[in-house]
Amino acid sequence: MARFSDAVMREMNALFRRYPAKVHALLPVLHTVQRENKGYLSRDWVTYVADLCDCTVNHVRGVITFYNMFRTEPPGKYRIRVCTCVPCGLCGGDRLLERLEHKLGIHAGQTTDDGLFSLEESQCLAACDKAPMMQVNEEEPLGPLTADQAERWVSGKRKQPA
Amino acid sequence: MAEERLMLLKNIRTPDYTGDLKAYRAAGGYTALPKALAMKPAELVELVKASGLRGRGGAGFPTGMKWSFMAKNTGKPNYLICNADESEPGTFKDHLLMMRDPHQFLEGVIIGCYALECHHSYIYVRGESQYAIRNLQAAIDAAYKAGLLGRHVAGTDFELDLTVHPGAGAYICGEETALLDSLEGKRGQPRFKPPFPAVAGYNGCPTSVNNVETLTCLPWIVHNGAEAFKAIGTPNNSGTHLVSISGHVNKPGVYEIEMGVPLRTIIEEFAGGVRNGRKLKAVIPGGCSANVLKAGEVDLPYDFDSLAKAGTMMGSSAIMVFDEDTDMVEVAYRTIKFFNHESCGQCTPCREGTNWLKSMIQEFMDGAGHADLMQRVERVAGNLLGTTICAFGDATGGPMRTFVQKFPEDFRRHMAMAKAS
Repeated sequence: MARFSDAVMREMNALFRRYPAKVHALLPVLHTVQRENKGYLSRDWVTYVADLCDCTVNHVRGVITFYNMFRTEPPGKYRIRVCTCVPCGLCGGDRLLERLEHKLGIHAGQTTDDGLFSLEESQCLAACDKAPMMQVNEEEPLGPLTADQAERWVSGKRKQPA
Repeated sequence: MAEERLMLLKNIRTPDYTGDLKAYRAAGGYTALPKALAMKPAELVELVKASGLRGRGGAGFPTGMKWSFMAKNTGKPNYLICNADESEPGTFKDHLLMMRDPHQFLEGVIIGCYALECHHSYIYVRGESQYAIRNLQAAIDAAYKAGLLGRHVAGTDFELDLTVHPGAGAYICGEETALLDSLEGKRGQPRFKPPFPAVAGYNGCPTSVNNVETLTCLPWIVHNGAEAFKAIGTPNNSGTHLVSISGHVNKPGVYEIEMGVPLRTIIEEFAGGVRNGRKLKAVIPGGCSANVLKAGEVDLPYDFDSLAKAGTMMGSSAIMVFDEDTDMVEVAYRTIKFFNHESCGQCTPCREGTNWLKSMIQEFMDGAGHADLMQRVERVAGNLLGTTICAFGDATGGPMRTFVQKFPEDFRRHMAMAKAS
């Protein structure tokens, strides 16, 4: 059932107290749902969040579709972003992305069948000195990265016990 | 050899500096705060005005003047919102300040809040940077514990709460009114102005939105005075700035440089010149929203006014360098792909224009360009100028038009390819 645990609910109540209206906390609440619910926002969670934040389901859906980070499908355990914006793109970002697509056997925007990896082509992630770079699960970007290094990173994660 | 002028990066450049509260205090941190709290808020606004500090987020608007526009006696709370969205391509300086010396930044936020009589401030950080949010939150928790935030800031009657608000991946939320809508739990779409945020901003209250680096300058200014700050840099372009350099250079990174140091010096001496011994072809001097400069145009002082005079802008001080092998059509393609992806969709010229421009540049990329199409790119780009609610239209139209005007030979090469095939 789409419902926060008591511990998370306490966290949310503390969050709501920091804003003049509950709906202002919508973005952090949606991030929390993704953290708690396998990385995505299913229909029943959207309804739950609308109720929790005193707004309509339509409002929540409008917000979800506006921002890049909100997902309505389950992503992989490792969500990989590769930047192909101006500095990264000109320093080999495309090649990095292509090699990862090949290695993972998916296209950007897809998730591997085993649910381990998602791959995403990204716009600038404010790490242009690391060009070309990739970022995994909102952690510190890795780079500059050769395609070989990226492939080795994937192999390493595949070998790890789930 | 040119050297950095260290004000904001002084601690970060010190070996073994950890950036925690103890280290910041040992380096003389949080001593500007009691000085500021002993002043009247209005005196602080005057001090910042006199220092000539201009916003480091991109627009370069004088900070003290922005603050003086705050509506008075409204009976509503005042807000200072820190813009830490940092999403202009090529920019990565605010991340450095937040990651490596978060307390210096927080001291600036607290001083700014006191000046604006704000009792709850929000720091809007891009959602992709969980690592930076975590780091910042740890510093805020430490500041609360040390009595630097909360009911009695540094033992005074000044009360201040600080909340980190994560974005969720939208470039437009770096535009201050889109940021405010996003902070209110809405789609981040820029608002009509007026009213300006200083009158009706966050939750309809008087609000000032300021960049991370701008606020981080405050402790230094309180310590050393407005005149000392003004003495650095060129007239009307006071202080140092954190320059992010990326692209085809030997030493990409963030450098703290006095305003007015020549752009060529920054590229050749600070960033170690163009990599692999190649020649310079072009430079985008202020993030993707700035018009490109040709190699022959980089002999100018790197400050707000000199770049504006040269028909471009310093923006967020993000320099992207391209070597002689770079195809400027590809640069144009990546630029328009970015703007098309990030257009919020509310104004027709931007929503449709970025899409048309992307399709047209795609034709060149496919080797199917022609002379009429070059003119059409210029015309469509021109139609974005001044026709949208926010500056996004200008930020797209200007650079796209300039790519065609300054590098027609690159575009023609993609026509020749069409003929050959």
